[in-house]
Amino acid sequence: MNIQDNYLKNKKNIFFSENKDIQTHREKLIKIFENDGFDKKNNESLKNINLKNFIDFKYRYLISEETSVINNNQENNYSIVSVNGQCSSFKDDKIEITKIIDEDYNDFSKNETIENNDHFVNLNSLFLNSGFKIVIKKNNNISIKISNIITDDDLTIFQKNNYICEEGSSLNLIEEYENKNNSTSNILNVIKLEKNSQLNHFLIQDNSPYHNLIITSHSSCKKDSTYTQKVYNFSEGYVRNFHYSELIEANSEADLQGIFFLKDNNLSNNKTFVKHLAEDCKSNQVYKGILNDSSKATYFSNTHVDQVAQKTEGYQLSKGILLSDNASYFSKPELKIYADDVKCSHGSTIGPIDENAIFYLRSRGMSKIAATKILISSFINEELSSIDNEQMSEIIQKKLVRYLSKVK
Amino acid sequence: MNSETLDTLDSYSKNKYKYGFVTEIANEKPNKGLNENIIKFISQKKNEPEWMLNWRLKAYSKWKQMKEPKWANLNFPEIDYQDIYYYSAPKGFEKKPKDLSEVDPKLIETYNKLGIPLEEQKVLAGVAVDVVFDSVSVATTYKGELEKLGIIFCSIGEAIQKHPELIKKYLGSVIPPGDHSFSALNSAVFTDGSFVYIPEGVKCPMELSTYFRINAENTGQFERTLIIADKGSYVSYLEGCTAPKRDDNQLHAANVELIALEDAEIKYSTVQNWYPGDEDGKGGIYNFVTKRGLCAGKNSKISWTQVETGSAITWKYPSCILKGDNSIGEFYSVAITNNYQQADTGTKMTHIGKNTKSKIISKGISLGKSQNTYRGEVSFLRKADKARNYTQCDSLLVGNKCGAHTVPYIDSKNNTAVIEHEASTSKINEDQLYYCRQRGLSHEEAVSLIVNGFCKQVLQELPMEFAVEAQKLVSISLEGSVG
Repeated sequence: MNIQDNYLKNKKNIFFSENKDIQTHREKLIKIFENDGFDKKNNESLKNINLKNFIDFKYRYLISEETSVINNNQENNYSIVSVNGQCSSFKDDKIEITKIIDEDYNDFSKNETIENNDHFVNLNSLFLNSGFKIVIKKNNNISIKISNIITDDDLTIFQKNNYICEEGSSLNLIEEYENKNNSTSNILNVIKLEKNSQLNHFLIQDNSPYHNLIITSHSSCKKDSTYTQKVYNFSEGYVRNFHYSELIEANSEADLQGIFFLKDNNLSNNKTFVKHLAEDCKSNQVYKGILNDSSKATYFSNTHVDQVAQKTEGYQLSKGILLSDNASYFSKPELKIYADDVKCSHGSTIGPIDENAIFYLRSRGMSKIAATKILISSFINEELSSIDNEQMSEIIQKKLVRYLSKVK
Repeated sequence: MNSETLDTLDSYSKNKYKYGFVTEIANEKPNKGLNENIIKFISQKKNEPEWMLNWRLKAYSKWKQMKEPKWANLNFPEIDYQDIYYYSAPKGFEKKPKDLSEVDPKLIETYNKLGIPLEEQKVLAGVAVDVVFDSVSVATTYKGELEKLGIIFCSIGEAIQKHPELIKKYLGSVIPPGDHSFSALNSAVFTDGSFVYIPEGVKCPMELSTYFRINAENTGQFERTLIIADKGSYVSYLEGCTAPKRDDNQLHAANVELIALEDAEIKYSTVQNWYPGDEDGKGGIYNFVTKRGLCAGKNSKISWTQVETGSAITWKYPSCILKGDNSIGEFYSVAITNNYQQADTGTKMTHIGKNTKSKIISKGISLGKSQNTYRGEVSFLRKADKARNYTQCDSLLVGNKCGAHTVPYIDSKNNTAVIEHEASTSKINEDQLYYCRQRGLSHEEAVSLIVNGFCKQVLQELPMEFAVEAQKLVSISLEGSVG
């Protein structure tokens, strides 16, 4: 079934299909699909993907009987269980959680460059069927942990979440994606950081081989705000991590990090895009990947420095280790710079584990496997040791041990 | 900075584009436009055998179905291929002169203005020059000496007549005519260019050199250069370009193919200084060049060095296909863009064989309102065991209206191959400027000195004949846009 028929058939289950403006926009998106038709050749972000699963899919969505749970067990600590992308409303003096409304649709989804280049965001806009909005109120410092649960097989979740950190607030956000059923989640997070606010965003992804996770986020930072994102991908299924960040006012900062651990036939597509639109901003993009068996990964990073964004510091780093003959890694670290007083750099390396280092460890009595494991751990140690949340650190260590146990 | 450099700077600042003059020689050319008749006309003029004509026509039919590649970071108006002359030869050169006295004195004068008097070069530089004036190769020097060693150095037209077996075997073997639209166009209408064959075990004793020159208005230049280095041989080839000042955009789509067999080495150096257009971005050459080298044999080596300062648009990616085991590919580039120039240049290293190595050093300098892009691809195929690549691309921005972009593509399919890529973008270091100014250099001199230092890694790869010229070019290119 093509996308248009699919949409028309399921229209009544899709959010905001009554809204005229949104309807017009969706018609436009359908046109883009028809004209471009997921042209793999001219859209490198579609590299290696088996598109059939995403174009010709069976739309199915359930509002689960299980309701989401919001707990405020400790002061300033909230835990949320979101079920099939839905979350019930909640309000206290620190945060407010509501369903997304028509107006939220416009954020990021209506963006010309994205419309033409990122078809998965378009799919999300077209079939939107869930999502929530969280507002962190002024000058509060809180932590939220969100567990994303999907209740049934063969569900297609198209979810859009909006996060707003009001002035002076600080949020520690941990998102867990651990699903064992074979569903597809297409999630779009739109994050707004007001003046002097902070968001530390952790994403832990550990899905079963048949679960597809497409996660896109967009953050915009106002004056003196900082957005930090750390993605840990242990999934055995397909994962797409695309993250866009805009530094729209002076002295803001974006730090996007990611580590992916791949094995078997797994594929992971990654992209980070930082747009410097004001002066004195900093950005950092670091992605590291370990690829075993026949796994494949792509990483696109892009730093765009606008003409007015003087005194910019923008750094990119991409590193990949190939553990097997059949693994492949494609990386494209791109710089686009229109201002002259900037410090920007990128580095990219792909290779096997250093043989000399293996030799060193083996000559001290270690087996080859043990040496390899130690060197893999040290490859990502810098990122892991920078996690200042003990609970998080423990979870990730455990998953790392599990991954390493499969390395031969 | 020494007084000589200052003098040169001075002299260049007086006449803005030194090489902007037009030699008035009656041109013989067919009508504008591209069709089968024009191709037949070219082929007939060049007295080509039938298989060559068929080859051209086949390329033309491919070109008709193709579109220009659009992925580059360039902005230019649509090229009207029917508004271009595809052949222009100075009259009276149908039969080749045997020595310089037979050459039109006006032509000789042109070369004198360019600073490469043939007589002088013969004696002083020890360079055999195969000059392309518009489309017909005019004079070839030092031929006898090269012939003694069995080296063939002639125009491609002559090679088609005299060495059809080599042309049939190698022409289009590295750049297939159907590769992309510019290569198809070139294959259909190429008029001249150089052909070099170095026999087995011969080290070419001198630097071979060609001066390309566009002269007639609205004449696109479609050179085709083919260099074959047989087993164990070595050759260093220089290419330099200047063009007269014109307001109409001129299209230039050359194809250069290099083939290095076992243990052979080819070094190809270019200084490109076509007319870049004036301060408002009017005029200038459109330079769409395809350069590709094939390291066919074991232990072969191909090294590209380029200094790109001219052209309104530069679209150029000298690449290496590292097929033979242990083969080496190198790419050294300096690209300077000023005013409204746009450059999208870089390289492509394809590692196929075992133990292949490649090295890329690219320096981009953007001034004025120009856009300078490095675009490079390094790929390791499955069988490229222990292959290695090192890439470094640095960009320097002078002024806040220009742009510097880096677009590397890195693809590894082999787990023993190692790839390293690093890049940086910055402006001229204030401390270095301060240091130089403190010692009495003017702002412009100081910038020129620092930029020359920034490019040194690449400039030192150039053969002596070019090194001096290139350094001057770098200084001149910066002129008027700093401070």
